[in-house]
Amino acid sequence: MASTHRITRAAYLESLNEFREFIKEHCAGVSGINEEIIYDIQLAVDEACTNIISHGYADLDPGSIILDLEVDSAKLTVSLTDFGHSFEPSSAPIPDVDAPIEQRELEGFGLFFIQQSMDDMDYQVTEDGNKLTLIRYLRKKVGG
Amino acid sequence: MKTEVRHEINRTIVEVHGSLDALTAPELANTLVNQIAEGHVNLVVDLIGVEFMSSAGLRTLLGAVKESRSHGGDLRIASTNPGIDKVLKMSGFHNIAKVFPSQAEAASSFGS
Repeated sequence: MASTHRITRAAYLESLNEFREFIKEHCAGVSGINEEIIYDIQLAVDEACTNIISHGYADLDPGSIILDLEVDSAKLTVSLTDFGHSFEPSSAPIPDVDAPIEQRELEGFGLFFIQQSMDDMDYQVTEDGNKLTLIRYLRKKVGG
Repeated sequence: MKTEVRHEINRTIVEVHGSLDALTAPELANTLVNQIAEGHVNLVVDLIGVEFMSSAGLRTLLGAVKESRSHGGDLRIASTNPGIDKVLKMSGFHNIAKVFPSQAEAASSFGS
């Protein structure tokens, strides 16, 4: 049976730790979720929320970020809803992780880490806000 | 996040504790830039007490590696947290800077 949890916080960098602690609180001890998976989810949530705070609400009064977490035996789903500027995930540059240090860009790792840590990502701009959905499968996808 | 700075002969140890995220990483960046500006260009950043690091922390480390090398020094990492090691590996950090499994090994790599 799936369990669902929600936390809403103001879009401030001070909220990042609360989002990470929320993930830990509701994932620790769940069958099929080990510490590595918890770190991956925390990393993806932290990076996504940092983007929303730094870019989504740039030039706007800080609004809120709603995090919905759903855990069932097969997968873990995180949905982040915000009401700031939308973004286009496919337009984000992919960092060159093999480049020598002289050519290293210091930006662009956030979305890359989200993609590396999660199995599926979906982004929708709706009348009810921007919704980023991240899925991590706890078992191998059948036929996937 | 808290940092402790210790100057040894030919190297400076910066122990970091807590979380390195977009809120706290600028504080570490300031500490590292100040050390380099004061001539402490050989740095060991000990992440063993760090429980979480995001791309903001990684960006700080990459910037400080560049800065220390531009001043003739180097920045080396001590890390044992599997999550942080994964962040370092995903970003290719191991290809451009040295990562050691203990502070003592990172420190002695600068010579005694």
